[in-house]
Amino acid sequence: MKMKTGEVLLLFGFIGIATTMILAFLWAPSVSIKAFESPAAQRIFYWHVPSAWAAFIAFGVLFVGSAGWIFKRSELMWRLHIAGSEAGLATGLMTVWSGCVWGAAEWGTPWDWTDVRLNTFGLLTLLAIYLVLGRSSQPDGVETRDTFAAFGLYGFVLVPVTYIATRIWSIRHPGPVIGTGEGSSLNADMGLVLLFGTISFTLLIAGHMLTSMRITSFEQRIETLQKRLDGGV
Amino acid sequence: MEEYNMEGMTYLAVAYFGMIVAVGIWTYTVVQRSRHLSQRMDALENAVKTYSPEFAEE
Repeated sequence: MKMKTGEVLLLFGFIGIATTMILAFLWAPSVSIKAFESPAAQRIFYWHVPSAWAAFIAFGVLFVGSAGWIFKRSELMWRLHIAGSEAGLATGLMTVWSGCVWGAAEWGTPWDWTDVRLNTFGLLTLLAIYLVLGRSSQPDGVETRDTFAAFGLYGFVLVPVTYIATRIWSIRHPGPVIGTGEGSSLNADMGLVLLFGTISFTLLIAGHMLTSMRITSFEQRIETLQKRLDGGV
Repeated sequence: MEEYNMEGMTYLAVAYFGMIVAVGIWTYTVVQRSRHLSQRMDALENAVKTYSPEFAEE
């Protein structure tokens, strides 16, 4: 069977994230044993940061799809909304899970309810859960779409808040190590693995969103065809 | 040769392995669903063409 663009991206993305995992374990240099409680667990950083990056892409797509649906009533935009919410849920869960694993090893607790970044990102993931489960449990219609699109639109405000959280309120989550304007604290090998992971996660999430949009398109077409057949042709 | 805390590395390996398996299952499920729906749509389009050719051309 001929592979579609989305499937090709998925394949390369998946191979890439598996390779990132191997590089993180076997090739990336260790961090200073004095700087971390659990230096080994720090290697989850090569998964955690790219998955958070992919989550922000997904939530950006969710925002564009939600706004597009509300203002243009476009089917393409609704498909973008669905793809963004599903991809946001998956990458959000990956980020939260990997963060909890690291937090448990480094802080001795998987979650800190006083940390702004943890909580705003957790809320974003909960928003994605609500959108995905809500859509699958409600009949499709303009009112339903408007409701979910409004949540997608206003929920996006959490993205910039999450992004700047560690810059403004440094509580427990580590601050940024790249893009700080003061030079990076990562060495070249660490940066390379991180870059490879980021590209891989971007390919994976792009593949997932394209495939998700294709699935929604099929579902809509099948529903139309089924109605036509059931209508006593 | 750097020394690793084996307990920490095992813990991390399990966490990583769990995630890669979860992502693999999710990816496989999405691709299979896409292919299944594609086949179903083709079958329905053929059925509609048989009974209502003008609709299929829309």
